[in-house]
Amino acid sequence: MAKYKVKTLSRRSVIKLGVVATALVALGLPIIKSRPVMAESASDAGTKQLGFMYDQSKCINCHACARACKNTNKWEKGVEWRKVLVKETPEEELFLSMSCNHCADPSCVKVCPVGAYQKRAKDGIVVHDSKKCVGCGYCLYACPYHAPMLGQETGAVSKCSFCYERQDNGQKPACTSACPVNALTYGDMDELSKTQGATSQIMNLPSSNLTKPSYVFIPKA
Amino acid sequence: MEEQWGWLIVIYLFLGGLGAGAYLTSFAASKGYLGNAPALKRIGYLVAAPIVAIGTALLVFDLGQGLKKPWLLIGLLANPKSVMTWGVYILSGFIAVGLVVAFLAWKKKEIPNFLASIGALLAISTGAYTGLLISVIKEVPIWNTFLMPVLFVISALSTGLSLTVLLGHLLEKGAEGNEKFVCKVHVFLVLAEIAVLAAFLGLMISGANGPVAVESAKMIVSGSLALPFWAILVVAGLAFPLVAQVLRITQLSKAHVLVTTAAYTEQAATGHARSASVSVLAGDVCLVVGGLVLRYVVILAAIPIWNGALG
Repeated sequence: MAKYKVKTLSRRSVIKLGVVATALVALGLPIIKSRPVMAESASDAGTKQLGFMYDQSKCINCHACARACKNTNKWEKGVEWRKVLVKETPEEELFLSMSCNHCADPSCVKVCPVGAYQKRAKDGIVVHDSKKCVGCGYCLYACPYHAPMLGQETGAVSKCSFCYERQDNGQKPACTSACPVNALTYGDMDELSKTQGATSQIMNLPSSNLTKPSYVFIPKA
Repeated sequence: MEEQWGWLIVIYLFLGGLGAGAYLTSFAASKGYLGNAPALKRIGYLVAAPIVAIGTALLVFDLGQGLKKPWLLIGLLANPKSVMTWGVYILSGFIAVGLVVAFLAWKKKEIPNFLASIGALLAISTGAYTGLLISVIKEVPIWNTFLMPVLFVISALSTGLSLTVLLGHLLEKGAEGNEKFVCKVHVFLVLAEIAVLAAFLGLMISGANGPVAVESAKMIVSGSLALPFWAILVVAGLAFPLVAQVLRITQLSKAHVLVTTAAYTEQAATGHARSASVSVLAGDVCLVVGGLVLRYVVILAAIPIWNGALG
């Protein structure tokens, strides 16, 4: 009888401990207070949207855009905010300089659970705040252009900011300033999209209907 | 793009479904939907919230900041548009309600009807959330279907029932009640899962979700994920438990007839019945493992809509 009692007590106490431990984990979450969500959404018609424009026939694959970005924005190791993609065919080489496209309908803004992405109402720039990022990786799946990248050292995501700090100080983005041949430029999407030969569909990239990227592409004729 | 989500997310999604399913098994049993099944009334309630809580804790380790700056996790409640934020609310709610229910079940106290029902609602939401989380990602075509939450909910119910039956057998032997009825319910769930899984893969292979979805689906049925898919999920995790349950149902019907016609002694009949249920229990173990492999296969089959290269 005594033996039996000891046995049930120990089993019970072990399970009780388990319940208490899980209760502590569980209670940790609801105690947390919700933060006010800042206003975003500039995708409404008539709002200004900045974008990049890339003239493929002008590009000489010099990587000045990517280097200038790296120097200005101090990329974390293993992370690239801008890169120049190359397609080699027997006849020619095609290039594409690409970063975040500051989409008019960005999926990163929607999926990020901590609200680290904010779309600025005044110019449509999609700003990511790495200080809020928990590194869940959800946006890495959601972005069709692989713009957000998770840094292994900080455990946080970062991406092209369109040099919004520079722009707020009246300067131009580092990449477009560095381009020696004016292949990469930027401006108001309403103006850029009127350019001769411009298209919204970028080579074999996903349909622009998905997130409405602010990227005007002038393919090599 | 490198694969971002690995085993920890797979286990998190699996445990979310398993816990939700275990809760719903006990909920259904106490409402009488599983026939006379006394062993199923408590055990699902006891294990549900801890299982989901363990899964959630694992997720914390998977976050880039989980161990570096854990206070940032407060922010997970910040974006009401994010399905992941919904999940944090749903899972916290389920764990909180589930723990109260588990405590009452442990103390063998009566569980208030409204509390049990709120828990059941949160359990269904938990199961659905694990599928919804990935189904809203248009940029991963194989995930982007309403069948995803449906598949995960059915798998949640099925794995939860298996786990509860297994634990009921181990901890409350002799209180299994109407085993035949429970088997019939489970056969229905397994058939439903097979149907939805076939519809899901058929849809993807048909090209309805684009060429990348076809590529993902081929990875599952004939590519790098084919071995775990066919061997563990389909054969061991669905076909084997299905056959074991169906055989058990026919056996129990026969035993019943024999006993009533007195051609069999009752002892022989129960002895016969008990030895045969080993295959059902083995099937339950395989079914739970199959549930884990289902999440594994679906997460690993994620191919982004654009591979990042110029084609």
